[in-house]
Amino acid sequence: MDAFLAQLWIARWPLFDGFLLTIGISVAAIVLGTLVGAVVGISLVFAPKLARLPFVVYVDVMRGTPVLVLILAAFYIPAVLGLSLSATQAGVLALALFAGAHIGELLRGALQAIPPGQAEAGRAIGLTFPQLLAHVLLPQAVRMALPPWINTGVELIKGSSLLSMIGVGELLLRTQEVIGRNFMTIQFYVFAGLAYLLVNVVLDTIGRTIERRLGTR
Amino acid sequence: MRNIAKTIAAGFGALSLAVAFAGTASAEGKLQEVLSRGKLIVGTGSTNPPWHFRDESNELVGFDIEMAKIVAAGLFDDPTKIEFVNQASDARIPNIVTDKVDITCQFVTITAARAQQVAFTIPYYREGVSLMLVKGGKYANYEAMKAAGSAVTVSVLQNVFAEDMVHAALPEATVDQFESVDLMYQALNSGRADAAATDSSSLLYYMKQNPDRYVDSGYSWNPQSYGCIVKQGDPDWLNFVNVALREAMTGTQFPVYKAAYEKWFGTSPAEPTIGFPAELR
Repeated sequence: MDAFLAQLWIARWPLFDGFLLTIGISVAAIVLGTLVGAVVGISLVFAPKLARLPFVVYVDVMRGTPVLVLILAAFYIPAVLGLSLSATQAGVLALALFAGAHIGELLRGALQAIPPGQAEAGRAIGLTFPQLLAHVLLPQAVRMALPPWINTGVELIKGSSLLSMIGVGELLLRTQEVIGRNFMTIQFYVFAGLAYLLVNVVLDTIGRTIERRLGTR
Repeated sequence: MRNIAKTIAAGFGALSLAVAFAGTASAEGKLQEVLSRGKLIVGTGSTNPPWHFRDESNELVGFDIEMAKIVAAGLFDDPTKIEFVNQASDARIPNIVTDKVDITCQFVTITAARAQQVAFTIPYYREGVSLMLVKGGKYANYEAMKAAGSAVTVSVLQNVFAEDMVHAALPEATVDQFESVDLMYQALNSGRADAAATDSSSLLYYMKQNPDRYVDSGYSWNPQSYGCIVKQGDPDWLNFVNVALREAMTGTQFPVYKAAYEKWFGTSPAEPTIGFPAELR
């Protein structure tokens, strides 16, 4: 244990940097993914049938492909097209596109779960479509979508560890570098596992608090 | 399922199209491109001592790193003008093919199959497999272990070829496979195994980190050459890297190569002989 703590102390800054990068990547991906997901979710419900098609294809492709494959695709396909993304940029792109599809789907589900009478009533009192969305539909949909949205966030934090495969120096890769040097495999993997758990428990707690305050089911 | 098939098909389509375009793109050579950029972009890993790993001050160090510095010194007279791109072992060839890096020095074993996809430089090290024993243990060296036959247990890193690899040297030995390096060494320390078999360079490094605890069995086998890799189709660039590496192993830059070799492998390479260039014999 002493030997482990000594090694942990030596490696504290690289591990901390990796931890921050893991959080940074996850936050960037969920913010971008939420923006994409909002557009996708609303379009899936309200766009005319033909305009809906590209969104349906996007959601199916992203949800039907393993995250690791998306990450490798985001890293290599732009490169052969002459656009060189850094490993971190490619990783955030892949996770954001992945999150966008999931959030789009869960927003679609939430919007469709609102009884049609609500939208009809809104239109009957003369609300325009943006007003209807802002005042009637989205406030209800967001409440319903919040628990699965938090769940997507948890998935993203765990998924960010896959970016170690393309050489992003996030928590997992930094951990592997330390293990490569001192051979303390089990100790440092357990440590990294606890760090991931900590972030996810905190996120979960924040989610629950918001849910309580918003009075979602 | 059909969606996945479509995705994959579409991906391959886009990829092959892009490769076709990229093939015709490069107008000026890689050597000029690197010189005008002012730094060399090197692909390598960060988790395998003594080849490429981060030391306690988080600097990338190791023998592969020194080889990259030799190339950078040849280009810019400054071994520090390098941008290292961290990559997993499986990314070594793709990152070369897609121009993510100028060169990869990451203990790439030279094989004819790989040479169909990338261009290998001359080898800068020949790796083998060695046996490490505890000092003052049951067996003194390789001969004693071979004489003991099936009584000997060898710990080895888990691998499809692990059993055959050990049996090539010790035909009757019992082989215990472990899934990580530290477990393999622990088996030796705890006496569960009489010897640990792995890459000679890793053993040398480990023995150097733990002086006076272990001995080498005195026998190595399974030769494989390590070289850097560059993209195919640019003979000037390949030739430049070859000249830089060759002159570090046999010519003016030998002191640099020698210092790196001694630092990471703990022994000295043979001095180049003066007179006829022996590597051409």
